[in-house]
Amino acid sequence: MTEPAAPAAVEVTSVSRWYGNIVAVNDISFSLRGGVTGLLGPNGAGKSTMLHMLAGFLRPSSGTVKVLGLPTWGNPDLYHEIGLVQKREAVYPFLSGLDFVLDAARLHHLPDPHAAALKAIRMVEMESAMDRATGGYSKGMKQRIKIAAALVHEPRILLLDEPFNGADPRQRLQLMDMLRAMAAEGKTIVFSSHILEEVERLADDVLVIVSGRLAASGDFREIRKLMTDRPHTFHVRASDNRKLAARLVADESVYGVELMGESLEVRTSEFAAFTHAVATVARQAEVSIFELRPTDESLESVFSYLVRR
Amino acid sequence: MIDRTIVRLTMRQLLGQKRSLLMAAFALLPMLIVLLYVLENDDLGTQRWVAEIGLGEFVIGLVLPFAALIFGTAALGQEFEDGTAVYLLAKPIPRYRIIASKLLVAWGATAAIVAIATVPSAIIGLAGLPQDGILIGFLIGGVIGSFAYCAAFLWLSIATSRALIVGLVYVFIWENIVVGLFDGVKFLSISEYALGIAGIFITAPQRTFDPLLSPAAAIVFAVILTSVAVYLAIRALRRWEIGEST
Repeated sequence: MTEPAAPAAVEVTSVSRWYGNIVAVNDISFSLRGGVTGLLGPNGAGKSTMLHMLAGFLRPSSGTVKVLGLPTWGNPDLYHEIGLVQKREAVYPFLSGLDFVLDAARLHHLPDPHAAALKAIRMVEMESAMDRATGGYSKGMKQRIKIAAALVHEPRILLLDEPFNGADPRQRLQLMDMLRAMAAEGKTIVFSSHILEEVERLADDVLVIVSGRLAASGDFREIRKLMTDRPHTFHVRASDNRKLAARLVADESVYGVELMGESLEVRTSEFAAFTHAVATVARQAEVSIFELRPTDESLESVFSYLVRR
Repeated sequence: MIDRTIVRLTMRQLLGQKRSLLMAAFALLPMLIVLLYVLENDDLGTQRWVAEIGLGEFVIGLVLPFAALIFGTAALGQEFEDGTAVYLLAKPIPRYRIIASKLLVAWGATAAIVAIATVPSAIIGLAGLPQDGILIGFLIGGVIGSFAYCAAFLWLSIATSRALIVGLVYVFIWENIVVGLFDGVKFLSISEYALGIAGIFITAPQRTFDPLLSPAAAIVFAVILTSVAVYLAIRALRRWEIGEST
């Protein structure tokens, strides 16, 4: 007889959440089994709503959210296995960093709260400041002490809402190393970010959320390729726009050129190939380029493309 | 039933604030009013004035509900506001234990304020006059009333983000105006419960102390209201959802 398969660490099935007429999360499904997963999307995309549903702090309007096979809503016992780092900076300002983490350990009724608190504080490298009141901490320090409090009970699932906000580059790398090490131990880590590079550095898998919908999911490299290979539009201003347009349209990387009076709009499907080609073409045509810039490089436009795709 | 860590955190949160010091100073107001009155009057009407105005209107009608409103709504409501509630709620603690711990602290703080307001006022005001159980009656009525008020305001702080305003409307419009105009709604006034319970201990003549509710009715309604408020608070906390802004 075969053992039944263990439930996924996180199982989200057809989940929507709306506030009145506003749909914050729209029919999202995914499942996670360990490793680091990045929730990527622009501000207001629904990442925090999704994380709060995973943490049992929001009831899905429809669909189910399960952690370790159990519904998260209305199930406080699950907090034995879940750690949550919220986006807000809030801490108890009158508590020292040590007391803050120690109280988290006590609220979990750990057998040795002091040892657990010290271990968690060491993990986030906050030993030197642990006796100071958290009210005087910098944003990055608050973030790290909040992470220590969230992992003091060694949860199997760690949920972090924009955890690197306010952290300096060194702290950021240290936190990323720590989270990767936790994932290597078999824990499931889900974090949200609107910064592509953070997700690229840390996440094994990515869930791209745009306007409440799951725009893409899976291996980060695949999604990155989709983002890079999408059609780009460049704004070009040269000494002879018409001549440059005629030459560019013959290049394989270009699939459209439009004369816009004083400038050109060039459409390409290969970002890197075009940026190399344009210089060569201009030199051959003896045209000087005064301005060359992509017109749609905001993260929002990248996400919009993924949604439309 | 209670969680000591939550009790300790809540005490530090509530008592370390300026508003707690202001509240303690406010609690001395009835004593000053009584002191001014007895310096001017030493006739037989003094006992009546102390019971009806000094302790009845100022302590039970003003200091008690105001202190309960401050502490009852802040015990948990402040954590919702500043975002620290998540640290309690993301723990495997039954919600009734959170409510019980918060209620205990809010009640303790309110009862202390009521004691500060009652004891010196009664001692000064009734010096040389028949005691007739007035001090002990108002003290016990006030302390039990504190529990009922705090339970109601704790529930309000979970159920609405405007608990302070709703509480002020209840205390100053409902209890002080509507109950005064319409005798029939005295059953929905916590301060009347406190006065009714005080009546168990007070042996002064009816013209000195005449609560709207009998002691038995006051106890029954106080128990019903408190039980309903605690039940609703636990239920609201179980269903509490994090706000979009958080």
